[in-house]
Amino acid sequence: MDFFHNTVALSRSQFALTAIFHMLWPVLTTGMGVYLVVIEGLWLRTRKLDYYHHARFWSKLYVLNFGIGVASGLPMEFQFGTNWAPFSEAVGDFFGSILGFEGAMAFMLEAGFLGIMLFGWGRVHPVIHYFATIMVAFGANLSTFWILVANSWLQSPAGGEMVAGKFIVSDYFQAILNPFMVRSVAHMFLATLETSLFVIGGISAWYMLRDRHTAFFSLSLKIVLTIAIAVTPLQIYVGHLSAEQVAERQPTKLAAIEAKWDTTPAGDTAPWSVLAIPDPDHGRNRWELNIPQGLGYILEFKPELSHTIQGLNEWDAGDRPKMISLIFYSFRIMSGIGFFLAGLMLISVVQWLRGKLSPGTITAQKWLLRAWLFSAPLGYLAVETGWIVRCVGRQPWTMYGEIRTADAATNLPPSTVLGSLIAFSVVYTLLLLATLYFGRRIIRTGPNLTLPAPDFDTHPAVDPTPTEFIPDQRAVELRR
Amino acid sequence: MDALLHFLPQVWFVILALFLFLYIMLDGFDLGVGILSLTSSDEERRGILMTSLGNVWDANETWLVLMGGALFGAFPLAYGTILNALYIPIFIMIFGLIFRAVAFEFREHSSRKVFWNLAFGIGSFLAALGQGFALGAVIEGIPVDAAGHFVGSMWGWLDWRSLLVALTLIQGYVLIGSTYLILKTEGELQKTHFRTAKLATYTTLIGALTITIATPIVYDTIRDRLFSPPLSYIFAAIPLVGIILVWQLLKGLSAKNDRTPFIWTVLIFLLTFIGLGLIIFPYIIPNQITIYQAAAAPSALVFMIIFIGFLIPVMLFYNTYQYIVFRGKVVESAYGED
Repeated sequence: MDFFHNTVALSRSQFALTAIFHMLWPVLTTGMGVYLVVIEGLWLRTRKLDYYHHARFWSKLYVLNFGIGVASGLPMEFQFGTNWAPFSEAVGDFFGSILGFEGAMAFMLEAGFLGIMLFGWGRVHPVIHYFATIMVAFGANLSTFWILVANSWLQSPAGGEMVAGKFIVSDYFQAILNPFMVRSVAHMFLATLETSLFVIGGISAWYMLRDRHTAFFSLSLKIVLTIAIAVTPLQIYVGHLSAEQVAERQPTKLAAIEAKWDTTPAGDTAPWSVLAIPDPDHGRNRWELNIPQGLGYILEFKPELSHTIQGLNEWDAGDRPKMISLIFYSFRIMSGIGFFLAGLMLISVVQWLRGKLSPGTITAQKWLLRAWLFSAPLGYLAVETGWIVRCVGRQPWTMYGEIRTADAATNLPPSTVLGSLIAFSVVYTLLLLATLYFGRRIIRTGPNLTLPAPDFDTHPAVDPTPTEFIPDQRAVELRR
Repeated sequence: MDALLHFLPQVWFVILALFLFLYIMLDGFDLGVGILSLTSSDEERRGILMTSLGNVWDANETWLVLMGGALFGAFPLAYGTILNALYIPIFIMIFGLIFRAVAFEFREHSSRKVFWNLAFGIGSFLAALGQGFALGAVIEGIPVDAAGHFVGSMWGWLDWRSLLVALTLIQGYVLIGSTYLILKTEGELQKTHFRTAKLATYTTLIGALTITIATPIVYDTIRDRLFSPPLSYIFAAIPLVGIILVWQLLKGLSAKNDRTPFIWTVLIFLLTFIGLGLIIFPYIIPNQITIYQAAAAPSALVFMIIFIGFLIPVMLFYNTYQYIVFRGKVVESAYGED
């Protein structure tokens, strides 16, 4: 089938393209929001000017990414209607509601407080400002929560059944708490945080390599490192838990991740391929580099598998994912980065304990700083490859086992979809280039260390009446 | 139970109408200011225009995202069919909104501002144009089959009637944008926008009158509804109230009043919107699919009332709070970064 005349392939490409690009921006702002909450909290507690200047400096990068994230995210929602109308009609009761919740709880909360967080420094009391920063970060993470609820539900449908082509929900809360949900939300929450930590750490390292504001940026590196001590190993563990779940519930995806063509019965051992050249036409790998008994160790920490692992050859070619190499290598890139970042964290902590990270000595740690700089984009790569495994690995299903991607797409003229696909390719590439260009400009300019901190004691221009405001807000958010 | 099957879709029709109205009013002035920026004479003025929106455009645009999500959840069939039929105008709008949004972020850091000025102005114009065509096409009706799926052509939304609606909507946005700037600026800049507001009042009025006269002539189903009681009384009242509101608006503009022009314009928008809502109800795609046919299961509608409906007052509260924090005139072109 010719790609340019295949509406389903074109619509899929458009969704993949917009998702891959869009993700780049909110991944940073979601994680960096948490970091800004930490930094501003430290400032409120200690009143040290350095923390305030950190908050102001990083929020410049934050806002650059935030606006582009909002803009590039718009087509994500609308594409469900424009390109996937049959899918929308079939699952609207639940899936549509969840997107609505994301708008009402997450986006609105973020947007409603963003103005105060960015432009409100002199206008509201610092405590109110801090509240706004918390609400923006909370909103962003709520958005992660709802989007992962929706996507997990597509991976492991729950809370109802398909009746005559429409998903009839019998229990909404069971659908929210679908089997994949908790681990997927945790995995993505940690992913945004880890990516942002290494972006902040990498930029800090860049300054220190040039010996610019070394004392100032060794502070941010240490804060990042402190959080990374918990985040990087936890992420590996949560990633493992997610893989277990895939093994249990999505056998076609597991087989694709490991490029396993033949079934391994329970009780047997199976090798784990580090590298392979899959050959889908002949249902085998043309070449592979194996660790004997490795699969058992990876899944269960013992040589023998306690469950049967089905190979790809168990299914017809139309009932399993097609792009085996993409899924196989994406998974290895993602997990490799996870281990690399954890290793970098360990080495850095050792150096810290040896007193090598103090402002006077840190600039001598050239290789360590270079490793941090090198790690700045790795989190993004891990997030992108992880989502490729998750969503390409789910094929040929849009909703695993229930709705095929081919049946989910709107029957549009291919030329129309091709037109919008080309437009998105051009515009999103320009957006990325412009973000990199202006981001570089912000970083080169550097922090403004002469900015005076806002006053705590005098009354602000506007009386914000905090006593009524804070409890009111929280009470409703907690109903969730 | 039968009563519930009717009542719940009606509740969601009203909630969606509220979201759409808030969007058209709030992002309406954002887009209007954007279109007006194309006529700004210098960089300083354009800077003030963008500063006046810097803290609110994102929240305002979010009402559209919210409306989209709520429409998806409450009326999945309509969501799929409408967006399928309006593929091209929707993507015109989306690209317009993308250009508009990134202009805010990039212009500030850019040394060659011309490009981002154009992105801001043209983006706002494209977004308004796409919305106008979409609105026009929905009012005209969308061809569907027995199952409610779209069966027309990709360009079916384009004709002189939807063009008329689109042009009128753009005029309306320019009007509300001008009155917003009257509220937020002073001096020469404010004077300019007293003039643009007056001009836009007349152009909007011409468009609105043409649509009002043409609609009952062209669409006989709408004509039947309009001229039979009890709706006929309401539809007789709307033009009368409209005339009073426009008269008050023009009076406020002549008196060079800071606030009243914006308030009267909002009321004109509200009146138009109520009129539109009454023409469309109980359909969600006029004369084809009713809200009862398109609605999600009653359980889904209740589920959404719990998680979205109860949050509406909270959302309104903190959005209003943000406007209060940033009330007053914008006097200089500063994004407030430092």
